[in-house]
Amino acid sequence: MSIPQGKTRQQQKGDDLCAAIMRALSGEADIHYRGQRLYQGLRQLQVHAPHLQTDPAHDDFSSFRGTADSIALRLLHTDPVLHRQLCPADPVERLVFELLEQLRVETMAPDTMPGMTQNLRHRFAAWSHAFHQSGLTESSSGILLYTVFQICWSRLIGQPVLERTEGLIESTRAAIAPILGKDLLGIRRNCRDQSVYAQHARAIAAMVGEMIRSDGDAQDDNQKTNAKEDVKSAFRLLLQFDSDETDTMTVAATGQSKVLEDAEHGYAIFSTQYDRQADAGSLVRKALLREYRERIDQRIVELGINIPRLARALMKLLALPQRDGWSFGEEEGYLDGRRLTQLITSPAERRLFRLEQYKPDADCLISFLVDCSGSMKTHAESITILIDVLVRALEQAGVGSEVLGFTTGAWNGGRAQRDWMRTGSPANPGRLNELFHMVFKNAQQTWRRARPDITALLKADLYREGIDGEAVEWACKRLQLRNEKRRILVVISDGCPMDSATNLANDEFYLANHLKQVVARQELRGEVEICGLGVGLDLSTYYSRSLATDLPHSLNNGLLLEIAQLIGARRR
Amino acid sequence: MTDLAHLKPDHMVSIRTLFGIDSDLMVPAFRERDDHVPDRDDAYRFNSDVTLAILAGFTRNRRVMVQGLHGTGKSTHIEQVAARLNWPCVRVNLDGHISRLDLVGKDTIVLRDEKQITEFQEGIVPWALQRPLALIFDEYDAGRPDVMFVIQRILERDGKFTLLDQNRVIHPHPYFRLFATSNTVGLGNLNGMYHGTQALNHAQIDRWNIVASLNYLPAAEEVAIVQARVPALANEAGQKLAASMVAVAELTRKGFAAGDLSCLMSPRTVITWAENCEIFPDTALAFRLSFLNKCDEAERSLVAEYFQRCFGQELTESHQNALQDIV
Repeated sequence: MSIPQGKTRQQQKGDDLCAAIMRALSGEADIHYRGQRLYQGLRQLQVHAPHLQTDPAHDDFSSFRGTADSIALRLLHTDPVLHRQLCPADPVERLVFELLEQLRVETMAPDTMPGMTQNLRHRFAAWSHAFHQSGLTESSSGILLYTVFQICWSRLIGQPVLERTEGLIESTRAAIAPILGKDLLGIRRNCRDQSVYAQHARAIAAMVGEMIRSDGDAQDDNQKTNAKEDVKSAFRLLLQFDSDETDTMTVAATGQSKVLEDAEHGYAIFSTQYDRQADAGSLVRKALLREYRERIDQRIVELGINIPRLARALMKLLALPQRDGWSFGEEEGYLDGRRLTQLITSPAERRLFRLEQYKPDADCLISFLVDCSGSMKTHAESITILIDVLVRALEQAGVGSEVLGFTTGAWNGGRAQRDWMRTGSPANPGRLNELFHMVFKNAQQTWRRARPDITALLKADLYREGIDGEAVEWACKRLQLRNEKRRILVVISDGCPMDSATNLANDEFYLANHLKQVVARQELRGEVEICGLGVGLDLSTYYSRSLATDLPHSLNNGLLLEIAQLIGARRR
Repeated sequence: MTDLAHLKPDHMVSIRTLFGIDSDLMVPAFRERDDHVPDRDDAYRFNSDVTLAILAGFTRNRRVMVQGLHGTGKSTHIEQVAARLNWPCVRVNLDGHISRLDLVGKDTIVLRDEKQITEFQEGIVPWALQRPLALIFDEYDAGRPDVMFVIQRILERDGKFTLLDQNRVIHPHPYFRLFATSNTVGLGNLNGMYHGTQALNHAQIDRWNIVASLNYLPAAEEVAIVQARVPALANEAGQKLAASMVAVAELTRKGFAAGDLSCLMSPRTVITWAENCEIFPDTALAFRLSFLNKCDEAERSLVAEYFQRCFGQELTESHQNALQDIV
């Protein structure tokens, strides 16, 4: 496993655990991470307190734990409406106020959870240390803020300030302690009462703000700008630790799409005239398919993948015991009428009864939707192996499966784009390309029958551009026509939706935002569960259930079992 | 056993003295202890709402169903109330294989005067119906719905019971009482936790006069229960330990509600854990043996997080350790 891959996976695992602990602590079931940002339902949760801005590159897991605990306490104990009302407008004051409110809820960690208290303290100490290390305490406003934070923290938790910086803050502390004395006592005493506490916190924030402002005024103009720079750079660190290192996997990029938001009827399609759907097997010569098949079979053998074990794992995740017929010839249970004669003919024979049988039965259909955009070409082989193995394992577990692919009929818009030019290129035409949806294996086919067709995934000419939103809608529609009780769609993709003609004619994130809308709508309807399997990319921006993989390097039993977990997990 | 039929509640007791519930209600009780009266457990803590519901069942002849998740002590609750009233009590565990014949009765072959004759043997329902007994149907929702219609008539107050095979109508004893416990409210296995439960007929659910719900208790009460059960914890250090244990259990319950875990710690698990702490000196090891090993492997790292919060201690499954292994 390559290092960045391992790191991202660990990070994702850590995020999942942190989100889960927040759900358990706060009782809010819809908290989750998307693209390393915290969401409650569809709304992003804002975390303003400076010491809760974590950075995967530098912070250890205990820090993440502390942050998660602190956010959970905040959800439990802060009235957000009251907080917004009382929050001061000045950025410096607001920063102090946010931090003080966060420290207030941290004092309310239950006594029964000593581990949580440990985590919270660890996080604050680690953040203080980073603050100090970054050299921010060298400026006068930096040391002032730092000292205030340290004193308030030490007052609230009733512990001495951090030993390492005790000497550093000594003189500042002596100067401001008498001014803040009354309010420090106030916050200490009123931890349980948000509104009274906020009065004192506001007073402290106002004093700090005043001191920083007067500090700036006292100096001449040149230095004044310097002081302002100081404060600004302090905020950069306080509000966000920018990470320059890119040794984790990238998160799928995203942004606002003004065209899509402003459109009256939502997502638009310029022309559906050229959209096609085809059986993939018919697009490739039979002889070539046979050749591909041999290659894939050879590779699967080389990889040494344990398909029965994967099948058992999937079975365990997807199947439920169902009443299924009778087992006859039992020694107890219901009398089996057909064996009554046997009672007369051989009275010693006791196996006259029948019992109800419960068999694990997976009433489930899984559809794989493969992004056949140009960049996926390089991953074609590993994707084909992955899908072939999964389909085979699912079949052994008695679960139906479908393999679909989406691409476009042409590069750069094809005929749809030419038609658009011909009509005089009206603004914001919507999707501008020929859709091309492929069926590699439908739900009725068995793996044995679809064997050659699946390998059509290897045919490089099929890979063009990708319009994910409509493809997900199409796949969901196919699933909704099925009778299976549980329907799961697995989208395998290595990037955001990409179609150059559409992006040029509308805006950059038009297709990406449509994909988000489609997934959110389907998740809300709840008929189809959707999960994203990112190839070298973290897809959590789009899909609430996702797994990032680094496919060519790590195609092994471990990864397959993790994918099985992703498919089978029942969440939200 | 023969004279059971002649027993009668012969005096009234105050529930304030008997159960410590703040109410002036008086309930009938027996002076004589029959063999069928369950053993009294002085450490048992009553939930006041459920106790009142059960007592209403005993005094006013109401049909009471107690619903709750597993391990909350539903059946024990009814038994302990009966034990304090000296009310004889019989528990029947319903399962998918209890048939109509088991409940109503069947013809059996018996020896009489050295001759084999067939004789009707009453099932548990007619037998109990003629005696001052509290009949408890445990796991009511595991019974097959078609079979459960046998008791449809007796669910009504003063409902008579007809033995078709005998052409006999049985009048219920005035002090016969009927209770039931179930995991679900008769809507079947919705959360995937209770396989084998049935969706009950609503006409039947409707006949239960009182449905009391016994869910998990406030943390302080649960701590007190654990301490009462495990005397070794009845000191200050024990109090702290028990409180942390209950905190872990509460996290697992909320995690279950949020869909993160597929199993949760019932009060029974907490008590088992506390008892196991006496056998194994290490709390973490006792936790592993009492609960963690029951969890799905994929969920253990999350349970380890819960444990870390409440004990400040890492389990082997913890994500922290996994990270260190990589470094």
